Amino acid sequence: MKEKRTLMDIVWRVVLYAWALTILFPLVWVIYESLKSNPEFFQDIWALPSEFRWQNYSKAWNQYGFGQSLLNTLYYVGGSLVLGLFFTTINAYALTRMTFKGRKLIWGLIMLSLFLPGINALVPQYVIMRELDLTNSLTGLILLSSLGESVFYLMLLGGFMSSLPVELEESATMDGATLFQKFWRVIVPLSTPGIVTVGVFKFLGFYNNFLAPFIYLSDPKKYPIAVQMYSANKQMEFTADWVTLFAGVTIAMVPSIIIYILFQRLLMEGATMGAVKG
Amino acid sequence: MSDSTAVKTASKLGLDKANTQKWIFLFIAIVPPFGGYLLFTLFPNILSVYYAMLNWDGFTDAKFVGLSNFITAFQDKYVWRALTHNLIFMITVPFFVIIISLLLAYLITNKTYKENKFLKVLFFFPNVLSTVVVALLWAFIYDGSYGLLNGLLKFIGIDIGNFYWLGNESTALASIIPAWVWGGVGLYAIIFANAMLAIPKSLYEAAILEGAGHMTRLFKITMPLVTPIIRVSALFLVVGTMKGFEIILIMTNGGPFGSTDVIGLYMFNLAFGVEYRNYGYASAVGMILFVILVTAKLLIDKFVPNKGYEY
Repeated sequence: MKEKRTLMDIVWRVVLYAWALTILFPLVWVIYESLKSNPEFFQDIWALPSEFRWQNYSKAWNQYGFGQSLLNTLYYVGGSLVLGLFFTTINAYALTRMTFKGRKLIWGLIMLSLFLPGINALVPQYVIMRELDLTNSLTGLILLSSLGESVFYLMLLGGFMSSLPVELEESATMDGATLFQKFWRVIVPLSTPGIVTVGVFKFLGFYNNFLAPFIYLSDPKKYPIAVQMYSANKQMEFTADWVTLFAGVTIAMVPSIIIYILFQRLLMEGATMGAVKG
Repeated sequence: MSDSTAVKTASKLGLDKANTQKWIFLFIAIVPPFGGYLLFTLFPNILSVYYAMLNWDGFTDAKFVGLSNFITAFQDKYVWRALTHNLIFMITVPFFVIIISLLLAYLITNKTYKENKFLKVLFFFPNVLSTVVVALLWAFIYDGSYGLLNGLLKFIGIDIGNFYWLGNESTALASIIPAWVWGGVGLYAIIFANAMLAIPKSLYEAAILEGAGHMTRLFKITMPLVTPIIRVSALFLVVGTMKGFEIILIMTNGGPFGSTDVIGLYMFNLAFGVEYRNYGYASAVGMILFVILVTAKLLIDKFVPNKGYEY
């Protein structure tokens, strides 16, 4: 059935396109400005580049130490992802599918986190990290990021795991599988979709994390990309090297764009789930 | 007889073994994540109450000063200024996010434009960008000499010269709001759109048969049915905006002359800023924010009508 198009439809479409433009326009603008020279940019912020200056990208890469901060990012994001994903999965399994003493108490304490805004804990958390000698260290940051509880992830994975039939586990036990084998060979493969969703959210969370690395890392050589871009912008205030900064911002957006293209469906579904379950 | 004993011992041994295994498994599954939660989340929260009563720069010996930090905070005009800014953000950001998301969600789900699928994907995109990238993009927009906004204004014939939107006390605060809204709309548009899609088609069909127009359907069916989700979203947004300060830290760091300072950022700079450090006072300000947030949460829960509809 075809809907009848009216004058209002034009208005509605304009509204939709207007919002789309607020997203596309700045992004496209930054990308094409990143291919100009600085004088070209200063002269006219609208004109297209006369020639594509890809060297801006290599300059951004070198000047902002992208090589080093990419390695830092890989180490921090990779380490937190592997460690965090393992513990979140096994934790969700234990808390949703196993019975043991103290389980209720643990759940209760975890639920408490929904009431804690966390901001008042920043200072004591910093002092604790300092006492443990974990400040100014990417490894310390990995421990901080990957050891902890999140109601959102527990709900997401727990919901997934509790929908798996108990018979599966029982028959595995009959076959003589140990608890670890059962978890690793039965539960993990069957929960893969849930684990992937959690993984994508965690990846974005770690890659985009600004505040924790900013607080805990004092040595600029250890900065991951997000903090590096912040300090690049600070430098720019003195150098007025705009096009290189544009190139840098574009580079920093590449991982987000790739993840989004690969997992957009999953991200949109997961985000809704988080909101509905609170 | 000896057989049955053997079986019993064997099963007991097996049980013991299974039990040991269970405890090892539980140890690995619970202790690191839950321990991390206790150490890095719960304990600091409790500790912050004590810290709030100290006079401590973080390095020299701490001095216990009781409630005097709180008295100082209530007399601190910077605290009140920051709270005023918080109030402005807390009202405007959630309001615009919800209005824009609702409109976009409604158009995406109820109109059959062929580009809607693409738009839905595009609208969500800002939500995967880091706060740093969002803040820098908007800083480029607001730049006085080479910013997009001034360029656009010039293009339509309004030349205001090199006006620095973020560098001016009278415009900086208002300029942060669109950036914050822009970064949040996508998520809520998707949430509302999915909620609208979940409404059974039969309801609309029945309404059309009864002669209900577009507007009637919108306000009698769609809106009431998504109200619970709007409510939860509003709660999230209000609390999130109240405690959020990253985007402000990156765009203006509270400046110029404190005109964009918010309470979270004020606390952050008291603790980690370059000028001076006062962990005790920062914690007291943090506690005030904590009380405000928990109160806001409870108030919203209590007073915003929570009418659920069944279909």
